[in-house]
Order: sequence, then structure tokens, then C-alpha cells
Amino acid sequence: MSTAEATATLEPVESTRFTPSAQGWIARLVVHVLIFGGALLITAMVPGYWAFRISLAAIYAIIGLSLNVVLGYVGQVSLGHHGFVGIAAFISAWYVTTKAGCSLEQGCSLSSFFVATALAVLSGGVAAGLLGLVALRIRGLYLALITLSYGFMAETAIFQIPALTRGGAGMPAPAPDGFTSDNRYAFLTLAFLALVIYIDWRLIRSKVGRAILSIKHSEPVAASYGINVTAYKTMAFVLSGMFAGLAGALLAFRVENVVSNDFDFSLALLWVLMVVVGGLGNRVGVVVGSAFFALFPFILSSFGTLKNFFDKHAIEPELVGLALGAALALFTIISYQGGIGEQLSPLTRWLGGKPFTRHPEEHAAPKGHQRKKLLSRMGLDKSGETPTEESAAVETPSEPVEEDA
Amino acid sequence: MRTAIVAGVVVAFIALVLTLGAGDALGPNAFVVIGVSQGCVYGLVALGLVLVYKGSRVFNFAQGEFGTFAAYFVFLMLEQWKLGIPYIVAALLAVLAVILLGLAMERVVVRPLLNAPRINLLVATIAFALFSISMQLILFHPEPHVLDPLVSKLPGVPATGLEIFGFTVEPQRLLIVALLAVLAGVLGYFFSRTDLGLAILGTSQDAFATRVVGIGVERMSRFIWAAAAGLGAIAGILFVPLTGALTPGVMTTGVLIPAFTAAVIGGMTSLPGAFVGGIIIGLIQSLSNWAAGHYHIGGDLIQAKIPGTPDIMLVAILLIVLMIRPQGLLGSEA
Repeated sequence: MSTAEATATLEPVESTRFTPSAQGWIARLVVHVLIFGGALLITAMVPGYWAFRISLAAIYAIIGLSLNVVLGYVGQVSLGHHGFVGIAAFISAWYVTTKAGCSLEQGCSLSSFFVATALAVLSGGVAAGLLGLVALRIRGLYLALITLSYGFMAETAIFQIPALTRGGAGMPAPAPDGFTSDNRYAFLTLAFLALVIYIDWRLIRSKVGRAILSIKHSEPVAASYGINVTAYKTMAFVLSGMFAGLAGALLAFRVENVVSNDFDFSLALLWVLMVVVGGLGNRVGVVVGSAFFALFPFILSSFGTLKNFFDKHAIEPELVGLALGAALALFTIISYQGGIGEQLSPLTRWLGGKPFTRHPEEHAAPKGHQRKKLLSRMGLDKSGETPTEESAAVETPSEPVEEDA
Repeated sequence: MRTAIVAGVVVAFIALVLTLGAGDALGPNAFVVIGVSQGCVYGLVALGLVLVYKGSRVFNFAQGEFGTFAAYFVFLMLEQWKLGIPYIVAALLAVLAVILLGLAMERVVVRPLLNAPRINLLVATIAFALFSISMQLILFHPEPHVLDPLVSKLPGVPATGLEIFGFTVEPQRLLIVALLAVLAGVLGYFFSRTDLGLAILGTSQDAFATRVVGIGVERMSRFIWAAAAGLGAIAGILFVPLTGALTPGVMTTGVLIPAFTAAVIGGMTSLPGAFVGGIIIGLIQSLSNWAAGHYHIGGDLIQAKIPGTPDIMLVAILLIVLMIRPQGLLGSEA
């Protein structure tokens, strides 16, 4: 392949924006309906114990998005998320049991559920904010250490306060009226997941979101453009804590009795890994990856032969899920950095009204192009640069890219 | 010089507390002894952390699991399979096995990420730690096992242990203290005086430049991780019998965070610093336990209402040190 040919296939096509045809839009609409309608239909039809797992998957997806803010957008590791989630779970349970007068026999009104959830979101945000105010001033990867020891502190100190957690017996948190069945509760968690996805999506498209993303690329450059690095990092951390708080409240009302043993540090590690497997900074990937991690042990044990094997050797499927999840994360970090999100990217781009391709730069300007262009002008993002002749010769595939409807 | 000053201050502090608390049965004396002996364990694990940090500029969250695996190997050889070999042979075999594990980890996990951003390697060590813990849970089940100590007798020490200010120090703890001092000294010499040690420091500062002058970066990385695994294994074999229960992930849940804090206090790059930092952390945790459990209000001895004081102290120390003096007490470049 000659260099001239290569550059010819790579003419910048910014002027002609790709728009799908009418059939293309219909096809996308059908697939949308199939995916989302299918998910809702499954949630409505499956027996209660599977709905119980679906609500766990939705909650894990919220936790995944929460960690994604820290890990994917800001580029810092938080190993103390079980602290935020646990604190919020206990505070919401404490509120409905001691303040709102709910009990497992009489149930709980919807309004006190929402107050408890709001309290949980607030407490998650405050807990993360307090830690972030101090911890995020420290440079380097020390945040991982600080959050890890913070999580341990939460386990041994905060979760042991008898008034909040009632010792080992646990604090009851009855599911709200109207959502006592597992299927209905799964819908509730899915609704909250949709809300979190929306907030995350809008926020990262805003000025704040662009500032946060620029920090990940280079703190000094971001600071030199007048971005208050510590303030935006703390803001991202608070947002992450609020998402985690919401997830904590949902977890509490899901199991209806919060026990401190439910929140141990291996969970926080697992959450970090599920975000990595999902794909850092990739919203769809993180949601799919987190749901996968939540459902994986159950899927494993639903195979008869595997279940027999586990029973025979007294192995818990959760542990196999943990081991395989960790191995999967290692594999992702070492040889498949994009994770699940990268694999799904052609589909998600296509659903968003763009061609079905792995290489969006070869097509008309994608939506995030403005930001990319800005970053590349700032010298932050190399992928947005107009390719030079040599790099084009190396990078472009020789076959013409097919156009999808 | 700075090392001598810091060590002197620590020793003076210990002496001061011991003199002030003399004669008081509920005084802090026994707690000081507990703190120092526990701190030496933290120091031993912190040595491995510092070693990896010097070589690879990354926090090794899997360091604790080298120790747990070693303890399980010893347990398997002595109790499960009943091989009938002397304890010391089993311990050496376990250290060897864990060194092989460390080499395997280096090849599979660390090597591909040598040129990646540091955060990737960090998350990879987390993944490896979690993988190790879950494998232990699957292979050995969560029930605790009992592992006998390596030494129950030392020359000149009674079999039950030495009673120091009301706290019985088992012979094994004395061995840990002695071994830690020796290892910190040997490693300190190794990194400041020998060619290999200096080469390792070079790779951590600028891998490309070291390669240019003809030093194999891969070889250095292999050496670092093998040595760290060996140190972790020694720490595990010596410490787990003292806890009384061998459970999956025991070295990660019990020792890793204090050891990290110790390494940070020492400056993350200083081997004597890890030693001193470990003892400081041990002292602070133990004395905070004493203070939380035994402070007097109106003459009555009351139980404090704050659970988990040692862990609260750890977070506080970590934050304070990193805010005020991020290079630690004894830290320096490389």
C-alpha cells in the first residue's frame, strides 16, 4: 500500500456529517426497544429470586458508575467505597427504623423510604467530601492507600457503633410499601440506575465534566488553564460518594436487614475490578461489567453440572465468581485495556446514530469531537490530531470502511 | 544521621513511657512492649513494600498475600500432608515456593505493565491480591487453622516466653525483632553499596537511561519481585502463628494497612525508615488501645465508647504525614 493511497482513505470528512437514513433510524429504534423492553420484560417475568439478583445487578451498576467517576474520569483509585456504601446503608436503615417507625412486620411508607434515600445520598456525599477535602490535596497515587485505610476504619469503627448498627444483629430496613415484592423492587432499582446514568451523562457533558476530564489527562496543564484541580477533584469525589450513598440505601432496602459483615474490604476491591473490566470512563461498559460481576456467580451455579461440582467440593459459587472476576480484571488490564465498553463500542455508537465501526475518527465528526479537538489543540489528546502521512500508513487498514445504514 | 536521630527519639520515647508507667499495673508498660513487637511485624511487611516501591514505583497490594500463601504452604506440608520434615525445612520450602509465585506474578502481571501508567500496575496488584484471597478461600476454605510457631525455644529464653513489664513476649517475637533488624541493615547496605542495588535504584528512576548503560530492566524487575515475595513469605511464616488463626487473606486484613502506613512514615523509599515506621505505628496503635480502654474519669475505670481506635489512628497518621511531610521521616529520592 502506498502512502498516497493511505492518506486518500483518510481525508478529513468533517464537513459531511454522517446521518442515518430513515430505515437506519427505524432499525436503531427497533434495537433500542428490543434491549430496553427486553430488560424490563425479563424483570417483570422472572421468578422472585432472579428479580432479587437483577436488583443487585442494578445496584452494582450504580456503584460501578460511582467508582467510574473517581477511577475513570479523574484517574484516582478509591479502595474505600464499601465505607461510603455501608455508612449510607446504615444511616438509611437507622432512619426508617428509629425515626420513621418502620418495622419488618408493618412495612414502611414510600415517603420515609425517599427521605431515607435522600439522607443516604447526603451522608455518602458528606463522607466522601470530608475525606476528599484532605486526601485529594496529596499528590500521586496515595489516595489508594488513604481510602483503603479509611475503609478499614469504617469497618472497625463506624460499623461497630451500636446505636447505628445494633451490633452483629443488624439494623432492619423494610422495603417500602408497593415495592415489597422482589420484582417491583427490581424495577425501583432500575429506575434509580436510569437516573444515575442520566445525571452522569449530563454532568460529564457540562463545563464541570470537561474540567474533570482534563485533570485526568494532565494536572499541571489543567491548572495552567485556570482549572482549580483540587476543587474539581473534590467535586468528583463528592459526586461519587453520593452515587455510592444511593447504592447503599438501595442495598439496605433490598436485603431488609443491614449487617456490618455485608460490607468488607474485598467487596471494595471487587468493585474497582468490575469498573476496570467494564472499561474505564465508558458508561455503557461500566454498567454492563458491573451487572456481569453481580450476576456471574448466580449464572455459574445455575448450570447443573457446575453446581454439582461446587456442592461436592463445598465451594461457594460466589468465591469462584470472585476468583474469575479478579483473573478477568488482570486479563483486561494487561492485554485488553478498553474492557467490555470497548467491545461494545460499535453497537453503542450505532445506537447513538453513528456508523457501526470501531474507528469513529475515520467517519464523520463524532459528537465528542469538539472536546477532542479542543484537547488536541491543548496538546492533551493525540487521538484527535490530523494523522500525519507516516502514522496514517501504519494505522489505517487497507480495506475500505463499509458504510452502514 | 537522620536515621540515628529518629531512632534515638523513638527509643527515648519508649524509655520515657516505661519509666513513667513503672509501678502502675494498668499503666502503658505492657502496651509499649506489645506495640514494639507488633510494630516489628509491620516493619517486616513494610520492608517488602518499600523494596517494590524502590524498584517499580508502585504500591504492591499483593504483598500481604505472599505471607498468607507461605503460611498455608507450611501448614499443608506439616499438618495436612504430614510430610514429617523439620519445621525449618518446610518453612524454607514455603519461602522458595512463594518466591516462585512472586516470579510468576512478575512475569504475568508486572512485566507487561512495566511501561504502562502506574495506576494500571497498582490496580493489577489489587486484582492479584483479590485473586489470591479467593483462591485461598476455594482451596483451603474459610475455617481458621492453627499453625505452630517456628521456634518455641530460644537459648536463654524460657519456653513460655520472656515476661517484660507484664507482657509475655513469645520467643518467636524475639526472633522477628532480631531478623527485622538484620534484614533492614543488610538491605540498606545492599541498596547503598552494591552494584546490583544501585542498578535497581537506577531502573526505578529512569528505565530507558538504565537500559542505555547496559542494565537489563527486566532482570532487575525479576529480582525485586522475587526478593519482595521472599520477604513477604518470611513475614507470613513468622507472624501467622502468633495470631493464633490462619485464615484466607489474614496478612492483608491484619497487617497490610499498618505496614503501608509504616512505609509512608518512613518515607516509602527508606528501608531503615520502614523499620522505624513499623515500630512507631505499633506503638501508636497499642497506646491508643490502652488510652481507649483505660482512661480515668472521676477515678472510675471506664471502657471507652469508641470502637476501632487503632484504625482511626492509622487514617489520621496517614493523612497527617502525607499532608505535612510527604517524603516521610527518612525519605529521600530513590
